[in-house]
Amino acid sequence: MENALVDVRNVTKDFYVGKIVVHALRGLDLAVHEGDFLSIVGPSGSGKTTLLNLMGALDVATGGDVRVFGRQLSTLSRRKRAELRLKMLGFVFQAYNLVPVLTARENVEFVLELQGVGSERRDRATSILEELSLGELVDRKPSEMSGGQQQRVAVARAVASRPRLVLADEPTANLDSKNAEMLLQMMRQLRDEQGMTFVFSTHDPLVVSYASRVVTLRDGTVVSDESKN
Amino acid sequence: MLSNQTFRIAWRNLGRNRKRTLLALTAIAVGQFGFLATSSLMNGYGEVYLNSVTGPMVGHIQVHAPGWREDRSLDLTLENLETTLWAVREDPEVKYASPRIYAPAMIATEGEGFMGVVIGVDPIVESHPSGLLAGQDFSRQVGDHRVLVGRSFARKNSIEPGMEIAVIGQDVDGSIANDLFVVTDLISTSVDIVNSLGIVMKLEETQELFMMPEQAHEIVIHVADTDVIPSTVARLSALPALADEEVLPWREIVPELVSLIDLMTGFRFFILLIVFIAAMAGIANTMLMSTFERRHEFGMLLSLGCGPNRLSGMIAFESAVLGLLGVAVGTAFALALVILTSKSGIDYAAMGGRDASFEMAFKGIYASSRVIPRMYPSDVAFGVIAVLLTSIVSVVWPMVHIARLHPVEAMRP
Repeated sequence: MENALVDVRNVTKDFYVGKIVVHALRGLDLAVHEGDFLSIVGPSGSGKTTLLNLMGALDVATGGDVRVFGRQLSTLSRRKRAELRLKMLGFVFQAYNLVPVLTARENVEFVLELQGVGSERRDRATSILEELSLGELVDRKPSEMSGGQQQRVAVARAVASRPRLVLADEPTANLDSKNAEMLLQMMRQLRDEQGMTFVFSTHDPLVVSYASRVVTLRDGTVVSDESKN
Repeated sequence: MLSNQTFRIAWRNLGRNRKRTLLALTAIAVGQFGFLATSSLMNGYGEVYLNSVTGPMVGHIQVHAPGWREDRSLDLTLENLETTLWAVREDPEVKYASPRIYAPAMIATEGEGFMGVVIGVDPIVESHPSGLLAGQDFSRQVGDHRVLVGRSFARKNSIEPGMEIAVIGQDVDGSIANDLFVVTDLISTSVDIVNSLGIVMKLEETQELFMMPEQAHEIVIHVADTDVIPSTVARLSALPALADEEVLPWREIVPELVSLIDLMTGFRFFILLIVFIAAMAGIANTMLMSTFERRHEFGMLLSLGCGPNRLSGMIAFESAVLGLLGVAVGTAFALALVILTSKSGIDYAAMGGRDASFEMAFKGIYASSRVIPRMYPSDVAFGVIAVLLTSIVSVVWPMVHIARLHPVEAMRP
C-alpha cells in the first residue's frame, strides 16, 4: 500500500515445537500508516506478538513480505536489521525492561549513545524525561521506581531518538488502571504533538479505548480492521 | 567499541551479585598471592644460594691452569702470578681478584695427626664482602709462621689458639714440605672446606712452603654487575697473560646450581599454571552465571539495536576488571608480606620447630636457613598477564553465547 510505514503482505510465520509445526501467522496482510494509534487485539496464540516482532525487525517471516519504511526486511542482514531498530523504531516491552544497573536518565542516555549522539545526550535525556513529567525520576534506578514509573521511563527511552514508529507489546499488562491510563495519555500526547505512530499488541480494553484503529487477529489472520473516526 | 554507558553497565554489573563477585575476586587474589609469595620466597632462596656460591668460594669467574679443576694436582699452577693478577685487575669490570693455593697436608699436634687442607690466601684481598674472610681483617694474624684454623676442624681435633702445629706435605717437586706454625685464631666462614679442613695461611708463606714461587692454583674474580660476567670472561680469555689458562664463569663451574635454579624456575611456572586454573575457574564461572542470568536483559538490549559485539565487549570488560582487581588485591597482600619480612626474613628452621636458624650445605657451601623474600616486577607482570589471558579465554564461551543470541528467543520468559 502506498505511503504505509509498515506494509505486511501475505505473511506466514511457522514455529517448530519439536517436530510439530505451529503456524503462528497464516497469510496475514496489514498496513500501518503515519499517525496511527493502532491496537492489535486477539486471544492468546492469535499471533499478536509474532506480528509485532516481524514489524519490529526482531524476527523474520517464513513467507510473504514485510516492508518497514519501504525496506524489505527479508533482504536485510542481522546487522542491518539491528541498525534499523536502533535508528527508526522505538520499543516498549511488556515487563519494563530497563537496564537495572542504570538510572532512568542513564537508560535513556544509553539508547542515545547507541545512536551516536554526542556529549549533548545527557541534556537530551534529561529534557525528554522532564517533557514526559518524569523529572523527579532521573537519578533513580529501576529498583527504586514503581512499575508504572518504570514503564513510563521505558516509553521515554523508546521515543528518545524521536522514532517515527513505536511498537509496544502489552505495555499495560503489569500496570494498574491508573498507571495504565497515565501511560496511554503520555503516548497519545506524543502521537498528537510529535506525529509518532504507535502500534500496540494488547488484551487490555483500556488500550483499545484509546486506539484510533483496532485490528483483531484470530488464528494468525486479520479478522477485522476498524478505524475510529 | 565500548561506550561510556556500556562501561558503566559492565562496572555496575560487578556489584550486582556482590557475594559472587567477591568469591571470584578472592579466588583470583589467592591465586596471585600464592604465586607471588612462592615466587618471592624462591627468589630469596635462590639469591641466598647464588650469593653463597658466587660469594667467597666460587666467585663470578675463575682462572685456573687447564686440568687443575679435574685433577687438583699441586703442580698445575698459574705462573707469573704478579703479572697475571695485574692484567686481570686492569679490566674495568673486575672488582676483586683473589689468588688462592689449595694444598692437602698432614696437620700434627703433640702426638696426633690429621688430614687438612692448607689454603693460601691474601688476607687483605679476602677481607672484601665476598671474600673467604669476609668482613674480617686477619692480615696481622697470618704470616711469620702464624695461621688461622677452621673452627670445626679445630673443635674436632682439639686445636686451640696459641697452639703450635706442624704442617707436613709434599711440594710441587715431590719433596717433603714441612714447617711449624702457631694458631692465632679459629674462623667460621660460609665455605665448608675452610671450616672443616682449612689451615688458612698467607699466600707468600704457602708459596714458600710448597715451592711455588709466583704461583697459585686459582684466581677467584668478582665483578660489580653479574650481567657483565660473559663479556668479562671473553675479555679476560683474550688477555695474553691468560692465553694458556682456563677462564670460566660460575655457571660452568657449578652446573648443579644452575640446574637447581632452572628447577626453581620450572616450579614457578607450575605455580603460575595453578594461578591460571584458579583464575579461570573463578572468572569463567562468574561470567557464565552472569551471562545466563542476564539472557533476558541481553535480548532486550539486542532488540533496542545494541550489537552483539558491544555486548561481548561488555562481558570481556567485566571479566578483565574482575581479573585485574583480583590481581591487585593479591599483589597488595603479597607485597605486604614481602615488606613485613624484608628485614627479619623467614626462617625455615624456626618454621620447622627449631629455636635458632641453621645453615644448609650444598656442594660444600653453606647457605642460611633464613630467607628474605624478593619480589620482582616481572613476577607481578607474569600474574597480570596470566590473569588477563585467563579473562579473555574464560569469556570466549559467554561471548559465543551472546553472539548467537536471538533477541526474540532471549526475551521469551
